[in-house]
Amino acid sequence: MDDYLSGEEDDYYYSSDQESLDGLDNEESNLQLVSSRINTAKVITKESLLAAQREDLRRVMELLSLKEHHARTLLIHYRWDVEKLFAVLVEKGRDSLFSGAGLTVLEHHRRRDSSSVSHSSMMSCDICIEEVPGYQMTRMDCGHCFCNNCWAGHFTVKINEGQSKSIRCMAHKCNAICDEDVVRTLVSKSQPDLAEKFDRFLIESYIEDNKMVKWCPSAPHCGNAIRVEDDELCEVECSCGFQFCFSCSYQAHSPCSCLMLELWRKKCHDESETVNWITVHTKACPKCYKPVEKNGGCNLVTCICGQSFCWLCGEATGKDHNWSSISGHSCGRYQEDKKKQMERAKRDLYRYMHYHNRYKAHMDSSKLEDKLRDTILEKVTISEKRQLQLKDFSWVTNGLHRLFRSRRVLSYSYPFAFYMFGDELFKDEMSSEEREIKQNLFEDQQQQLEANVEKLSKFLEEPFEQFDDDKVMQIRIQVINLSVAVDTLCKKMFECIENDLLGSLQLGIHNISPYRSKGIERASDFYTSRSSKEAVGEICQPSNCGTSGRNSEETSCSSRKRPRKDGSHRNSQTTLLDLNLPAAAMERK
Amino acid sequence: MIDFSRVQKELQDCDKDKDASGIRVCPKSDSLTRLTGTIPGPIGTPYEGGTFQIDITIPDGYPFEPPKMQFSTKVWHPNISSQSGAICLDVLKDQWSPALTLKTALVSIQALLSAPEPKDPQDAVVAEQYMKNYQVFVSTARYWTETFAKNSSLDEKVKRLVEMGFGDAQVRTALESSGGDENVALEKLCSG
Ligand SMILES: [Zn+2]
Ligand SMILES: [Zn+2]
Ligand SMILES: [Zn+2]
Ligand SMILES: [Zn+2]
Ligand SMILES: [Zn+2]
Ligand SMILES: [Zn+2]
Ligand SMILES: [Zn+2]
Repeated sequence: MDDYLSGEEDDYYYSSDQESLDGLDNEESNLQLVSSRINTAKVITKESLLAAQREDLRRVMELLSLKEHHARTLLIHYRWDVEKLFAVLVEKGRDSLFSGAGLTVLEHHRRRDSSSVSHSSMMSCDICIEEVPGYQMTRMDCGHCFCNNCWAGHFTVKINEGQSKSIRCMAHKCNAICDEDVVRTLVSKSQPDLAEKFDRFLIESYIEDNKMVKWCPSAPHCGNAIRVEDDELCEVECSCGFQFCFSCSYQAHSPCSCLMLELWRKKCHDESETVNWITVHTKACPKCYKPVEKNGGCNLVTCICGQSFCWLCGEATGKDHNWSSISGHSCGRYQEDKKKQMERAKRDLYRYMHYHNRYKAHMDSSKLEDKLRDTILEKVTISEKRQLQLKDFSWVTNGLHRLFRSRRVLSYSYPFAFYMFGDELFKDEMSSEEREIKQNLFEDQQQQLEANVEKLSKFLEEPFEQFDDDKVMQIRIQVINLSVAVDTLCKKMFECIENDLLGSLQLGIHNISPYRSKGIERASDFYTSRSSKEAVGEICQPSNCGTSGRNSEETSCSSRKRPRKDGSHRNSQTTLLDLNLPAAAMERK
Repeated sequence: MIDFSRVQKELQDCDKDKDASGIRVCPKSDSLTRLTGTIPGPIGTPYEGGTFQIDITIPDGYPFEPPKMQFSTKVWHPNISSQSGAICLDVLKDQWSPALTLKTALVSIQALLSAPEPKDPQDAVVAEQYMKNYQVFVSTARYWTETFAKNSSLDEKVKRLVEMGFGDAQVRTALESSGGDENVALEKLCSG
């Protein structure tokens, strides 16, 4: 039998009891590996953007009894941070909260159609310097009154300048933000396109100016944004399938920290390593500064410009020399340092290459396996149609998922190790003995994970769609066991990093997204997640969604949900495989 | 989409009190998109006595976009480029409001001549001189005013002094060190 985990294999084997295997058949039909628990990350699609925004708007509107556009002005100013806004309210009071955001809400709030501006009489507009009938004038909340044509001209320029989010009043030194309804009304009369652009800017502000929301970085862009509940470091999966790190928006990279990844990517892209190669293998001519390669054993080198110099110290010399010395030249102790420096650069280069090669190899495998996904799923389809005792092939899709996840972890464990055990970041953090012990500990785990990942990959590539029952069963057991093994090893690796490698201090700088056994959190649809919060575990019926003191606006929003019902409720309705449980427990369920 | 009727009204309005304010705006051609503004140097500054011309271009979005203004008369000032005449002034940029006019903008420029803001410089060389060596700044600014912003040009002064029997180079040095003031320069030349 194969060793899945050296020494501890008993823990990870499960009883291959035929009955418990059969018990699984009906449950694992869904390919999506989402926990049935409530997700905290939400996908905000073009369609749900408005509703997501409205949730925050409503909190502010209710607390401060404000109209929507006033709440939006406040929220845009406070970058959609409702907590921050409330904190300012408590600390500095309502007036300074409002004035800080350029919001003027008059106590005697004048309704626009009421007549403090006389409709019939002529008034003078200070912008166009024309006499205009009162009904063609508009007074803003700040009290400044100009003609509609001038307002529209002002809005047009500002929207085109990309300043939709904070169009200020036309009066000199008036900081009041213009009422968005007025902007919309006056602009849409003559330029409906521009009014649309204005609305889009306002809506997208919810994503662009909000630290809890980020565009999915997929390319080509899927059009979605992801909202998280708190800005704790996490990795999320968009509904388009792209998995990314919420803090740096690069593809998921744990156990590498964001900082390590940034350094690593720079290192990989830079020519710095090539430059290093040149410093190891060539030396600049002291006369013309061209790089000169050493051609023979002796330390006197000659540049194509004719200049001779000493390879060891780089100093210009005459041509007269023998094997051991150059006449009239001595480098002495300096020579030793130079030698060491060279050796060091060489060593650093080899060290980098060692880690980079492995990182690259796993990245490449990952790409290949991604292509294999379809082939393997095809084999499942074929197998399901065959007259076999075994009808359920969810172990294949689960195994595949494990393979992708652990392959990713494995790839990024190399840049992690490069920095963890290198001089760049942690030189003074540990003694060289300490470092050696830790490195051995980590590399042991890394090797075990590597071995099991490769095995899992190999078994999944077997042509099981052609095998007989017995052989399929054997492969199934192997895949299930290996799936559990790589999961456990990934978990252990992250534990080792957190407990043994990075002290609490460094964990502050090197935030590493935690490993989640059930996979990277898949952001749920915005609507689904909200309703599942209210009725945990229950299937949300559209009629359920409008409960708990929601006003009429909410009802209209829930009716908008209906057409999307089929797609959006998929995640929370289906019973999904909880990968948190070891396979053994799953089998018994 | 330029609102020419407003520009026209502004010109009329400006014309009414041109004697009191000293500020003039005149069209360069018939189109009203290119204008010339004129402001007198503020009293009590190195610009006193000078008359400064400003090139004005009216953008399509005027008055919702600010007019483009730059000095055509050479000026020595921290917020005005000594090379191009470009002006660093907030009301000509993000602080522009459609309620402002060409005249109010010119008034703001005149105020800028009185109160330079060397911490937000357009011309780093001038700003540094202003901060580190204020006296030299003042005399340079005055010399530039005399030379470029006054009707009597430097060449005319040089000519007069040379006719009195001083050397050309000597005269120019004396004029420069006396801030372009002919009488002070003459005193200097006489005292040796
Ligand atoms: Zn008007
Ligand atoms: Zn106002
Ligand atoms: Zn996406
Ligand atoms: Zn990151
Ligand atoms: Zn050479
Ligand atoms: Zn030799
Ligand atoms: Zn040497």
